Amino acid sequence: MTLKPFFIDHMQTITLRTLLAGLWCLFLMEANAQAKYTISGYVKDNETGETLIGANVFLEKDATTGTVTNTYGFFSITLPEGPQRIVVSYLGYQTYVEDLDLHANANLNIQLIQGIAMEEVVIAAKAEEEDDNVQSTSMGRVTIPVEQLKVLPALLGEVDILKTIQLLPGVSSAGEGSAGFYVRGGGADQNLVLLDEAVVYNSGHFLGFFSVFNSDAIKNTTLIKGGIPAVYGGRLSSVLDIQMKEGNNQEFQGEGGIGLISSRLTLEGPIVKNKSSFLISGRRTYGFDLAQPFVRQTDFAGTNYFFYDLNAKMNYQFSQNDRVYLSGYFGRDVLTFAQPGRDFQFTLPYGNATATLRWNHLFNDKLFFNLSAIYNDYQFKAGFEQEEFKFDIFSGVRDYTAKFDFDYFPSNNHQVKTGLHATHHRLTPNIIRGNAGDTEFENTAEAKYAHEYAVYLQDDWKINPWIRVNLGLRATLFQQTGPYTSGIDGQVYDGGEIVKTYNSLEPRMFVTTTLNPNTSLKAGITSTTQYLHLVSNSSSTLPADVWVPSSELVKPQRGWQYAAGYFQNIRKNAFEASIEVYYKSLKDQIDYRESYVDNSVDQVENEFVFGDGRAYGTEFFIRKNTGALNGWIGYTLSRTDRTFPDIENGRTYPTTYDRTHDLSVVANYRLTDKLTAGLVFVYATGKAFTPPERVYLIEGELQTDYGPRNSRRLEPYHRMDVSLTWVPNPASQKAFRSEWVFSIYNVYNRKNTFFIYTDYETDLQSGTADVNAYKVSIFPILPSVTWNFKFK
Amino acid sequence: MKATLKLIAIGISMSLLVSCEQEYIPPASADGPKYVVEGYIEAGQDPTPTYVLLTRSFDFYGEFGPDQFTESFVHDADVRVSDGSIEVALQEICLFDLDPAIREQVAEQFGLNADSLSVDFCVYLDLLNQLQPQSGKTYDLRILVEGDTITASTIIPMAVPLDSLMFEPPPGEPNDSLARLTCYISDPAGVKNFYRYFGSTNGGQLETGFSSVEEDLFFDGKSFGFQLFNPATDNGDVDPEEFGLYFVGDTMTLKWCTIDEANFDFWNTLEFARANQGPFSSYTRLQSNVTGALGIWGGYNVNYYTLVVAY
Repeated sequence: MTLKPFFIDHMQTITLRTLLAGLWCLFLMEANAQAKYTISGYVKDNETGETLIGANVFLEKDATTGTVTNTYGFFSITLPEGPQRIVVSYLGYQTYVEDLDLHANANLNIQLIQGIAMEEVVIAAKAEEEDDNVQSTSMGRVTIPVEQLKVLPALLGEVDILKTIQLLPGVSSAGEGSAGFYVRGGGADQNLVLLDEAVVYNSGHFLGFFSVFNSDAIKNTTLIKGGIPAVYGGRLSSVLDIQMKEGNNQEFQGEGGIGLISSRLTLEGPIVKNKSSFLISGRRTYGFDLAQPFVRQTDFAGTNYFFYDLNAKMNYQFSQNDRVYLSGYFGRDVLTFAQPGRDFQFTLPYGNATATLRWNHLFNDKLFFNLSAIYNDYQFKAGFEQEEFKFDIFSGVRDYTAKFDFDYFPSNNHQVKTGLHATHHRLTPNIIRGNAGDTEFENTAEAKYAHEYAVYLQDDWKINPWIRVNLGLRATLFQQTGPYTSGIDGQVYDGGEIVKTYNSLEPRMFVTTTLNPNTSLKAGITSTTQYLHLVSNSSSTLPADVWVPSSELVKPQRGWQYAAGYFQNIRKNAFEASIEVYYKSLKDQIDYRESYVDNSVDQVENEFVFGDGRAYGTEFFIRKNTGALNGWIGYTLSRTDRTFPDIENGRTYPTTYDRTHDLSVVANYRLTDKLTAGLVFVYATGKAFTPPERVYLIEGELQTDYGPRNSRRLEPYHRMDVSLTWVPNPASQKAFRSEWVFSIYNVYNRKNTFFIYTDYETDLQSGTADVNAYKVSIFPILPSVTWNFKFK
Repeated sequence: MKATLKLIAIGISMSLLVSCEQEYIPPASADGPKYVVEGYIEAGQDPTPTYVLLTRSFDFYGEFGPDQFTESFVHDADVRVSDGSIEVALQEICLFDLDPAIREQVAEQFGLNADSLSVDFCVYLDLLNQLQPQSGKTYDLRILVEGDTITASTIIPMAVPLDSLMFEPPPGEPNDSLARLTCYISDPAGVKNFYRYFGSTNGGQLETGFSSVEEDLFFDGKSFGFQLFNPATDNGDVDPEEFGLYFVGDTMTLKWCTIDEANFDFWNTLEFARANQGPFSSYTRLQSNVTGALGIWGGYNVNYYTLVVAY
């Protein structure tokens, strides 16, 4: 027995026991003879009626007595009888203060006003004592307001939430210009990406260069890269929780933009004022559409590419206690390559569709309930056609999910969440159907089915003013079901019959020790299990990559993350700073075997090999939230590696996304009322890659013999982008307002290597050869301009 | 308006497609060269005599000239092939040591012109065809060289000849100077079959295209027609309209082979590695069936078809 596995196993046992003991304590909550009353309600934007997520609600005289609004903007706070002054604060909004004389439970719906008022300075001085960054138990959690995104430089003017989160410490990019991301050494499939609770299985357009999230339709984005609360599960490394806007329930309004790549239009307004609203938002690219007159004159007439997104949402408040939300997303990439002269056509449509129906119900002022019914579907199809020959490949994932979630606020010292989630998965591997004339072909691949269940309980518990813990336990059950024919013993399973069962207990425990109102120490342990897997043979995940379930052939991936951090707010919360260290242990990781070739005809699970991974690092983060100059600096020092017995005889190697150093500087500077400047600078250790070391002759041509996997590094990656946002009439009260965003990507034209390829020319007759490798960079300096507008 | 649209289209295309390319020089290999085996054993119609090329790999950054190629051949190795009952020692011959007439014959086998050859091409050969390779048999290769042992094994599978083949007009717009080749085959059911083909035009060297191997996972037990691309058109100089097609009036020779799974895996990985070099590609190691060296020891069951391109 080696010391480390023993230590980790022992730690895991201790963690579970501690957690169970802690949860038991939940039921032994303190009794208090003094009369107390509960104030509950929603916090909203006064202009649009949008609920505000994560707003602070606390007592002015004792800021440690407080709470934050949940995902639906709801809060519940229990206070002693008598006069109380309540403060409600939210970043970017004027702080709200209300005096109450409490003699009964009260309902309080608070409307915050956007912008900073003069009296804010006074309130902020008092409000500094309650700050989520320092006092909450959340670790590795960052919320990015969409408005902040819109003034940052963007590749070709396309504002992209996934590219912005790559600028946070602990998050690395899948490559130049890519919306793909890796969190604290986890794989690309280990990020749980949610849009209104629906899982988005492929979050990229145009081979991952743009994300599917239209910023105009998004209200809130939260990335959790460390302490994942028990309410979330199913992925090892991170949660990216994105909520769509609900729609303005006060008045009709629209916004949109015209850019180089795409145009956007969003319409929203009340259906019944104060009770019901809608939002509909669309985005579509048109670069190739504009080129069609010229394409039609070539041998490739009919060739085109575009992508589009459509978001829609509506809600209705039946009563103070009942609200219903219905939201959906539909997006597609559509590539058509045609060669009419040869009667050849290739089509590649793929994309996501999601739908979420939610019912919020208040059983009483302390018990909030949400029922969600969720549908999501990712489909990929590639079709080839030439005369009588036809060939199609399909793959995809379709889920039906039901979630029952309760938020219980028994006292100010406890916020309890519990719930039950159930999902039915259908995962379609690469199914191939083709025909040559009357002869039909197909492979043996068939859709796989599974049920996934989770039940969780978590309590955010203020033990005393200095110590706060978040104890959670998530229990999961995963069953692969028929119809299925075993690849091991040939046994045939009927529809619904259980093929293989896995389960897991996932403790989550986070502790915050407040040293003073501005400083805290935090530590956390997170256990996660992942039952669905995406394995890629590419340097970045691609739309054709196939999700597979845990099965008789594939075990679930399991992870443990240990993290600790020092959090400090400086100068009356103007600055938030943190240092976090983490160690992540990953079991049953999956990769393709060496020499894997994507023939798309076989059971892909037969090509997998299994191993372990680990990641550890230190993250430094400082963010300035207020003033004319705001932004952040993030730096990560980290290491990520994998060990697979069947890859290079178990040699431990770094992953392609291992970055020893990763620095991001993000800044906005409000020059005048009309002009805001933005800057992004990134620096990262060069990407690890597998170098060509030798060449050798086969059939008179040179072939490559590669060195050890990921044993070399590209040169460091660095880049600076700048932007300038110009609002011609900032004080305009007109119904129609607009702004221009000028952006320059890669302002000093750095030639960052995107990939390397080899090129050989051999002539045995003369005994000569040209052996060359080339570094290719794709995005030079790229200026762009976008015109955004709003109207009422 | 049209001019504006054109400018926008050009601008977008330029922005998206512009890229920069620089030469990359990888670091030197610390481990030095490796042995490379390229050996074939054939049964069936007009089989090529069994032979093995034994060379050393080149460092990626090294020099490449006639001397380096000549020096890459490994001499004085003990190369033996066994079918379980007989074992034959292959004889090393180097082209520069042969009489001009024989040199020309041997060079031609490898697609070389003996008169202008700059490399002293050496091969280990079953000169007297003692092995008499047969389908269904396993052939083991064992090489002792400079204290190292290299081994490999291959099976010559049963032959699956084509039922017929014919040239037809090309798809799409009429073009009476081009033709496509359609072959018909009856794939035996219940057994894994692997195929490889070579093509030559007007008696030239047999060559392979970008995709020369196929397995029958898709069409096990089926009788059907399929197209075979002309390997000669698989290079960047060919008009896209002519890609894969044959030229009416030429004489085309098709070498159609069945191979074993290990042989298929090697060529499949080789062709995948060659084609899969792009922005999102990962590296692919060739899946060799040789232990102690890089390369391939491959058994083939061969059928030849020669016909004039016409329809």
